[in-house]
Amino acid sequence: MSEDFYAYVRGRTDVVPEGHSEAGMKVYRHLVHLGASQAIEAQHPEVRQQLGEDAWRALIEDFVRQSEWSSHFYGDLPDEFLAYLDRMRA
Amino acid sequence: MVGLGYRREMADWDLSAIEADFFEVVSENWMRRDRAPLHRIIESGRPVHLHGVSMNLGGPAPIERAFLLKLRELIEDIGAVHCSDHLAASGDAHQLHDLFPIPFTMAEVARVSDRIRHVQDVLGRRIAIENSTWYTNRGDVPEADFVAAIAERADCQVLLDLNNVVVNHKNHGGMDLPTFITRIDPARISYLHVAGHEFDARFGMHIDTHSQPVESGTAAMARLMQQRHKLSVLLEWDNDLPGCDLINQELRCLKTSTPT
Repeated sequence: MSEDFYAYVRGRTDVVPEGHSEAGMKVYRHLVHLGASQAIEAQHPEVRQQLGEDAWRALIEDFVRQSEWSSHFYGDLPDEFLAYLDRMRA
Repeated sequence: MVGLGYRREMADWDLSAIEADFFEVVSENWMRRDRAPLHRIIESGRPVHLHGVSMNLGGPAPIERAFLLKLRELIEDIGAVHCSDHLAASGDAHQLHDLFPIPFTMAEVARVSDRIRHVQDVLGRRIAIENSTWYTNRGDVPEADFVAAIAERADCQVLLDLNNVVVNHKNHGGMDLPTFITRIDPARISYLHVAGHEFDARFGMHIDTHSQPVESGTAAMARLMQQRHKLSVLLEWDNDLPGCDLINQELRCLKTSTPT
């Protein structure tokens, strides 16, 4: 799929890529956000509690926008999140 | 034969009480974990099939050889007869851990078939590709023909997911389930998947949630294809997992005859 497809999924743009439906693109963006949120919360539940819902959502959105996951293993995603936090602090 | 997708929530279940003839597990979950639970299932006389979620058959990134060798080791360790993954992409240059559509074009048929052949060369066996749910896609090849063409060109099997066909038909029109299955060579089908899905008003679309009972029409088609083509059928239930009783009830609904 083209780069503009994934740019929308990641939230880097709100321009719906040519040939695609907005509803379908929103589903993919939602599913990726949900997957990241659930994986990270499972291992770091305190972060969501401390941040509150709005800040948590914004943090996951930013993580998805910038992420560079390469592992095939969904369970490694929280490690990628920690690497992301390190990059943010740098 | 009727099987059940094994999920980690079932670790505490008495699996001998589950009326499944076989199980299917997510390959990635068992590549780096103690496989004793799988060996116990196999020793009880019920085979375990492997179903991956991250191979990225349709994506642009190279498929890691090291990952495939880990999968091969798992296949050989448990003596898996069936190994499959989705006819989908896992992301852009990176993993996004979801299943994204592959454009329905003949150029993609050629490209993805080559990737599947590479996978099969490294694994030393044929795999099956699952027709996926998609929420938006482009291209002008009907999905069933797209799946069939890739299976022929890659010389792989098809893990035919009946629920995905139904969800896609509800969301996009196109071929209904009876028409779709006429386009797939039964000799290429490894086995069938069934599951339930939900309508999500936020998007105005049916979502493949695996969180509901199987629709009666889908179950009826699964029974028909079992009888007609001797195909096994597997129930996937991943979210809002009910108790053993309801799972057994669902499994019974998929059987072509009830033992006396």
